[in-house]
Amino acid sequence: MKELLAFEQVSYHYDSGGEREALFPLSVRLYEGEKIAVLGSNGAGKSTFFLLANGVLTPRSGTIRLCGEAIGKKEKQRMQLRRSVGLVFQDPDVQLLAGTVEEEISFGPINLGLPEEEVRRRVEMALSYLGLTAHRSRGPQYLSGGEKRRVAIADVLAMEPQVMLLDEPSSNLDPAGRQRLEDTLDDLHQKGMTLVIATHDVDFAWRWADRVLVFHDGQLVRDDTPEAVFAEEELLCRCGLEQPLLWRVAKALNIPVPKCPEELANDQIGRKTE
Amino acid sequence: MIAALLAGLIFLSLFAGHLPPVWLAAVCLLAMILFLVGSGHHHDGVLTMDVYARRSKLCKENAVFKTAVSVLLLILCICSGSPFLPIGLFVFLSVVTVAAGGVKLREYLSLLGLPAVFLLLSGLTLLWDFYQQLPSEAVLMIPFFGGWLAVVPAAQSLSMLVLSRALGAVSCLYFISLSTPLPEILQVLRRVRVPSVVVMLAVLIYRYIFILLATFRNMKDSAASRLGYQGIKRSLHTTGMVYGGLLANSFKRAGACFDAMESRCYTGQMIFLTQKKKVTYKILCLLGFPVIGMLVGIWLL
Repeated sequence: MKELLAFEQVSYHYDSGGEREALFPLSVRLYEGEKIAVLGSNGAGKSTFFLLANGVLTPRSGTIRLCGEAIGKKEKQRMQLRRSVGLVFQDPDVQLLAGTVEEEISFGPINLGLPEEEVRRRVEMALSYLGLTAHRSRGPQYLSGGEKRRVAIADVLAMEPQVMLLDEPSSNLDPAGRQRLEDTLDDLHQKGMTLVIATHDVDFAWRWADRVLVFHDGQLVRDDTPEAVFAEEELLCRCGLEQPLLWRVAKALNIPVPKCPEELANDQIGRKTE
Repeated sequence: MIAALLAGLIFLSLFAGHLPPVWLAAVCLLAMILFLVGSGHHHDGVLTMDVYARRSKLCKENAVFKTAVSVLLLILCICSGSPFLPIGLFVFLSVVTVAAGGVKLREYLSLLGLPAVFLLLSGLTLLWDFYQQLPSEAVLMIPFFGGWLAVVPAAQSLSMLVLSRALGAVSCLYFISLSTPLPEILQVLRRVRVPSVVVMLAVLIYRYIFILLATFRNMKDSAASRLGYQGIKRSLHTTGMVYGGLLANSFKRAGACFDAMESRCYTGQMIFLTQKKKVTYKILCLLGFPVIGMLVGIWLL
């Protein structure tokens, strides 16, 4: 697998202290086509990690490499990072700034300095991909929470990044919106997009991710498969997390942990017929 | 209610001496009824205009053309020396906005209520004047502290002209604001080389005013749910706290918003993709007619 993004002993702290979390020397590598869930309690350093990976913040020490090339502190190099790594913010209202959905999505591609035809193609692509074509001339202020979230994802998708970082994309969504979001994420993964998602939803992390990063107090404390991470109850407890519901069910029934409820049902039927 | 009474008074003073008493009474009553109907329901003021503009059927038309013609009509309206041209323009543009644009008549009248009070008040001061001795040509008069408050025909014709021009101008501005969403008007401003800093600020203000209002509403509601508005003293204190919180919130959010812009490669220029809209025959006819009418009218009168 091709290495896309690498953090080598990267650290960061805010001058103002407090409020936003610092990040202590962090080393991690992200590869092409991965589905990564980033877990951790509030203030564990997930957002700082994302802002660093996106080039909005520059590391105090350490190096960030994009496809093997070190990214320096120069504006031009950070811009390269922003082109290749897209960040969807937790609160869509922070991100949306134009008067209509179409203009909004075009903001990123135009900033990339693309010709108008290409911008138009990408906007159309992002609109149809997220099912927003009917909403193209509506104002962001008149959209529902789920629609706003989709516009925020379309914003970043139109920039065609190699890696997409999503900061708690399922917060404030109703179950239907959440399902739709998961479908979108599956689609994006099918397209070959590398996805990194910060979330508090351990059930989602268990069914979706193929790799889990656990942050605690600004440090990366665990980087492993979901199976290995969720087996460590002590670690989860220390980081303010919990086991997914299916894990607890499986433990109570004393059976191997299924990936989804359907698998559990099949398992039960299998037992009865035995 | 006050606006309706004011309107009745204005029409009485405007036409006194020109119309027979029965007609005069009818005109005044009609004006009052119109105002009562118009002010029937409440709205969020300016922000409702944004909703109507996006809903308007004329929204699909070319924004540059609409804006240019509205400005031209505005200038012609102000140049007009006769009160009839601006009134004609007002009627025509109102019909266009309501019939062709699809804004409900009731909503349109209710929006007109906003500037109407200012118009009527200024009309009142233009019409009535204080005289030591009663002028012989006065049509209406009230004794007042040893002198007279009176309306003279010269004041009537002057205020007729001023009011009609103002009304025509309002209809021009309402036509553009009820048929074109603000983002498109801002694009037009960019096209006519208004400094980009100004346009960028306007874009951001437009976007964030909705967020600011939503935050304000939430904070106010949550303060009210904790009985923050009981009694005058308590209310004042709570209002101060809400405004303070709003300021702190705005600063925090401004930082986050800037991060979000930077993350999408913002380098100091805010440009958006615009939809190309052709100038259609429909809008050409709709707006060409009043322009020609005004030009001919100014030339003839």
